Amino acid sequence: MNILQYGFMQRAFLVGILLAVVTPCIGITIVLKRMSMIGDALSHASLAGVALGLLLGINPVLGAGAVCIAAALGIESIRKKLPRYSEMAIAIVMSAGIGFAGVLSGYVKNSANFNSFLFGSIVSISSEELFLVCVVSLLVLSALLRFYRELFYIGFDESAARISGVPVRRINFMFTILTALTISIASRTVGALIVSSMLVVPVACGMQMGGSYRKTLICAILVAVFTTIAGLFLSYYIGLKPGGAIVLLEVAWFLIVIAGKTVKNKLGGV
Amino acid sequence: MKKSLYILLILLMTASWSVGCGSEKSNATGKNEADEGKSQSESGDEKLQILASFYPMYDFAQKVGGDKVEVTNMVPAGTEPHDWEPTATDIRQLEDADVFVYNGAGMEHWAEDILASLDNQDLTIVEASKGLEFIEGEAHEHEEDEEEHEDEDDHDTGYDPHVWLNPLNAKAEMENIKNALVEADPENEDYYTENYEKYSAKFDQLDEKYKEELADIKGKDIIVAHEAFGYLCNAYGLNQVGIEGLSPDSEPDPARMKEIIEFAKENQIKTIFFEELVSPKVAETIAAEIGAKTSVLNPLEGLNDEQLEAGEDYFSIMEENLTALKEG
Repeated sequence: MNILQYGFMQRAFLVGILLAVVTPCIGITIVLKRMSMIGDALSHASLAGVALGLLLGINPVLGAGAVCIAAALGIESIRKKLPRYSEMAIAIVMSAGIGFAGVLSGYVKNSANFNSFLFGSIVSISSEELFLVCVVSLLVLSALLRFYRELFYIGFDESAARISGVPVRRINFMFTILTALTISIASRTVGALIVSSMLVVPVACGMQMGGSYRKTLICAILVAVFTTIAGLFLSYYIGLKPGGAIVLLEVAWFLIVIAGKTVKNKLGGV
Repeated sequence: MKKSLYILLILLMTASWSVGCGSEKSNATGKNEADEGKSQSESGDEKLQILASFYPMYDFAQKVGGDKVEVTNMVPAGTEPHDWEPTATDIRQLEDADVFVYNGAGMEHWAEDILASLDNQDLTIVEASKGLEFIEGEAHEHEEDEEEHEDEDDHDTGYDPHVWLNPLNAKAEMENIKNALVEADPENEDYYTENYEKYSAKFDQLDEKYKEELADIKGKDIIVAHEAFGYLCNAYGLNQVGIEGLSPDSEPDPARMKEIIEFAKENQIKTIFFEELVSPKVAETIAAEIGAKTSVLNPLEGLNDEQLEAGEDYFSIMEENLTALKEG
């Protein structure tokens, strides 16, 4: 396979597949909590963190992680304050993130540095980033597996979960931090587009395909892994932008599944 | 406990935000006062107010105008000008300026619209690249990927705008600027002409030096971050291969990266050039792939604060570029 003879493609496949496994695991809980847009909000917040990090002279990845966690906790707390309009929390934090990023970037002297965080691309991943993604993925995956049941309960009904003895607050807190961590690192490496879509679209496909929670999750992971691989192949052989190709494949998959279901229902009805 | 932490955090955010806004406001009022002061003394012995669209225009105008003019570079130091757009403050400055210098050839995609909307009747507008011969935009693309290669650039014209990278073109641009200054301020004609003559000789020297030193260079092929060096390459017999097209900062596609890696291997290229204002990530990825080194080749689209403080200018950067090219 000559597609794998280049180091940058090997890293792209490795990181792409890792993230394709991790993000739907986070995504399914996010979708069930009706927070599908959180990926966008947090990736913008992490941008503000990058600018802040560059300004304060600390490591921008660290800055992005910190601001991302603060933003995610902010979303959680606003959601608690306004339970009826909980989707507003995401909009508010996203605006704050964009605003901060815009204002702070005006003070960043070296725009190349800033741009290199802005335009993460799956085909230009360095070895350090590969390492970072591996560590974070393993951490997130093991935590999610450990608390699989709890997250399952919380995803469907928080109050019921609380009654049956799940430490909802603590689990929510941990989940928020894991989400923030994943998004801040992944959007730096592969770009915000891939991350925020991969949190939601494969899960949407999974919901249409699988029946149970577990089946949905497995389907979502399969969709994400498959579209990532196919997207990289397509971009390699026909010269498409990899990020866009992967996301479009995911959306196409979703549309096909929906169309397939509609046709099946119609036929069944007749 | 946690609740109060959140509140503290949000308070902090709002506080720092309003501080930011406050300082901006006071800046703006400061400028307003300055403007009023200026308009009062307009009739007096005032320096010519020049706005330049980005660094080389600023540098050339400053060199010709010397201490008779006050030149402002619209694009802040360290910012990549391709994606830059003027803010309301910039447009107000344009209303107050005497001369506006821009490169043209599609470099400033915003210029046309904004110039049309200005009320400033006395503004002398200089399109510095006027009268130069342009290279077609996509001249350096490889034939095979012509169809697939959607150009990401938002230049209105199909031309390559980076004319100033050939010293002789730069000289012509400076001449255009000189002519405009003479037109706007005929009293100081001799002064401007004298300055222009001085630098025109320097441009010629630079050109000679490039010709001499690049004549027997082995590697005629160079790999650059974006195809900014068309005029330079044409003038001195080099061949550029750009990782990106005419504009930097679009996501590279792996097919293009593979092509460049193979090209570099075939031609035994030892150096991948990148620019200071653009992320070096892609250049580094490619360099690591073929075991080459990376080195800066500055398209002079803007300098950062450190370079400005160190007194770098068009000539010193072009000398650095020459050194980099010889080593590459």
